Amino acid sequence: MQTSELLNNYNVDPRTWDEMYSSSTVREQYKGVVDFLRQMSIDELGKKEELAKRLFMSQGITFTVYSSGEGIEKIFPFDIIPRIITAAEWTYIEEGIRQRLKALNLFLKDVYNSQFILKDGVVPFEMIYSCPHFLREMHGFPVPHDIYVHIAGIDLIRDHDGTFYILEDNLRTPSGVSYMLENREITKRIFPDLIPTNNVRTVTEYPNILHRNLVSLSPRQTAHPNIVLLTPGIYNSAYFEHTTLARLMGVELVEGRDLVVDNHRVYMKTTSGLQQVDVIYRRVDDHFLDPLVFQPDSMLGVAGLMSAYRKGNVAIVNAVGNGVADDKAIYTYVPAMIRYYLNEEPILKNVPTYQLGNPEEREHVFANMNQMVVKKTNGSGGYGMLMGHTASDEEIDRYKEEILKDPRQYIAQPIISLSSAPCYMNGHLAPRRVDLRPYALCGPAGIEIVPGGLTRVALREGSLVVNSSQGGGSKDTWVLAG
Amino acid sequence: MLSRVADSLYWMSRYMERTDGILRMLRINYASSQDDIHEFSWKPVLQIFTYLEEDQVAAISRNTRAVLQYMVTDKENSNSVLNIVTLARENARGVQDHITKELWQCLNDFYHTIRNEQLVQGLYTDDPVSILDVLIRQGLLYYGITDITMARGEGYAFLNIGKFLERGTQSADILDIKFSDLEYDFTRTDTTWWRYLLLSISGYELYLKTYRSGFEARNVVELIVLNPDFPRSILYSVNRLQLHFQRLKDDLNREGYQKLDFMIGKIHSRVKYSTVDSILQQGLHGFLRSVKDELYEVGVAFNHHYFAYL
Repeated sequence: MQTSELLNNYNVDPRTWDEMYSSSTVREQYKGVVDFLRQMSIDELGKKEELAKRLFMSQGITFTVYSSGEGIEKIFPFDIIPRIITAAEWTYIEEGIRQRLKALNLFLKDVYNSQFILKDGVVPFEMIYSCPHFLREMHGFPVPHDIYVHIAGIDLIRDHDGTFYILEDNLRTPSGVSYMLENREITKRIFPDLIPTNNVRTVTEYPNILHRNLVSLSPRQTAHPNIVLLTPGIYNSAYFEHTTLARLMGVELVEGRDLVVDNHRVYMKTTSGLQQVDVIYRRVDDHFLDPLVFQPDSMLGVAGLMSAYRKGNVAIVNAVGNGVADDKAIYTYVPAMIRYYLNEEPILKNVPTYQLGNPEEREHVFANMNQMVVKKTNGSGGYGMLMGHTASDEEIDRYKEEILKDPRQYIAQPIISLSSAPCYMNGHLAPRRVDLRPYALCGPAGIEIVPGGLTRVALREGSLVVNSSQGGGSKDTWVLAG
Repeated sequence: MLSRVADSLYWMSRYMERTDGILRMLRINYASSQDDIHEFSWKPVLQIFTYLEEDQVAAISRNTRAVLQYMVTDKENSNSVLNIVTLARENARGVQDHITKELWQCLNDFYHTIRNEQLVQGLYTDDPVSILDVLIRQGLLYYGITDITMARGEGYAFLNIGKFLERGTQSADILDIKFSDLEYDFTRTDTTWWRYLLLSISGYELYLKTYRSGFEARNVVELIVLNPDFPRSILYSVNRLQLHFQRLKDDLNREGYQKLDFMIGKIHSRVKYSTVDSILQQGLHGFLRSVKDELYEVGVAFNHHYFAYL
């Protein structure tokens, strides 16, 4: 059987936007790849998939699942068929994200200082003060260059007509960028010559831009500031990413126990004594950063870090307290922020969102539960989420009870179907739902978005949940040059 | 360099050196066990590389497959190849930004190889030498990649400090336990016995080239303790230890440097200015014991002056 026959079996759900097919003709941007695949047999494709797995395993691009005292290495599932974005689509996405990020940075500065947006009644006070990620410790303290969000991983999805929507803003410690980089490297190995012949833009600049931004944040005026990447350690599921980024930027990878604060300065413990640290790119959540200020039993942070931060002796990336801006309830107000701070119309749309803290909206949601997805406002990773169209009545009732205990902590959105893209599934190509997370970097020189990103894919047929913790995988993501 | 990183590099290297030592020892002793099935016992090997009690040693010392199982893949044995390769890899994983990508991949592959149950099964059902060879070769890759890709900086110094401390201790241990098995009876000239001892530390050929008069205990002691050109000798290990340590000289940690410089210099002199006669006069066991103790103290001092970060 030839691969071309496989393409004939590719059945797109008519209510879904497919990235490859438009009414059973191949879209322009996919033609190069489809022609290439047509020349291959299924056996060959199967071998490519095997090779990709082997490469991930041997390079240790894995996360460890610990069970009965023993670590088992797992690969984050990778689908070999790339996801392709056209130059025009990318320009639109880029502009939209840039606008959004600009507004979100202004919002964070405002909310931790003068709070004009609250006083003007655009965002209600109670929204902010009921958010567990709003940190009083950040109040009235000028962060370097007024940048709070240095790295954002904003999630986008596409509805049935191809319109892009913002699903969520990840402004704390967005992960996955190493997969953007590694997936590309794997594609280069498994499909030789395919990338150069398809005019794909490169993603390799990411670590350089990030490093340049980190250097520019150093509070000490020195040619070689000490920059560190703070990881929770080897047991963290994103540890591979932390090592990759540290290696690619040539910065020190540290754990909390490697650092110590003395007289409001942060030092790392080295073989030749203490060395002052200037910039910390942390991959540790706010609440674990400093046991003196936040969670007192945290072993991952550094005692006294917040005082050094507030004194301006060390820069922290992303800033502490960003969770107040990517809270799922505050998400609803982002379009209003864009209008308020920038006097512009939002380029990228929000998914319509109901606040369950609001009784009228809650009633509407409760009446239409089977068309809704309900999420916790501070949840992530697809945990604690209810997909109304697949949940049983008992599940829905139980979930409603949970909601009523603290409605502010929940939002609901109508189920958006997500676009589909071709995936290699046991010997044939099949459409699976995807989202897109581009990575935006914000430095003193402005906002830069590396042309690419992480495409997450729901590998189960019909599933709309792409989170890796819920059986999702990823794809190499191509942005084509104009 | 971060103290934690130095610590991890040092241990990664020690574990890999130990892995190599164990695997070679198993390979040669297996061959020996096939030569002399009645007399042969695994007791010395178990004494050198495990923490088993005497009765536990006695229980398996004549059961080759049981020894292989215990020393290669037993999860309960903290010094099994499986466990120490896992530890080496865990250490490497925590310092991936300080070792080359090739080196990390090599250790990662070693880990996946030793955990490949199908492959390792061959140790118990098939010819164990071919499996041990696969594992030894993986270790050789580690040495080669370290040599070719690692920058000659502080990290490299700690790698070598770990390696040669481990090697010196191992050679002293092997010599001590092998001779204690003979009850330090230096008159024994059984060729097979000497041959396997020398083969197990890759010194057989050098011995033949150096001494043409057959096997003599004095010569074996000289080769393993005092030959500066034999890469497994104690003197060679201490020479290298000193060389790599001296690259750490640094004004910022003067106290630690001076302390360790003194300790390493002392062992170095003790070994270098010994002769076979002076060693035998002192008693081989006593001499080896004090060398091992001092090497151990050096390890403790590194912990204190260079790796203390907790």
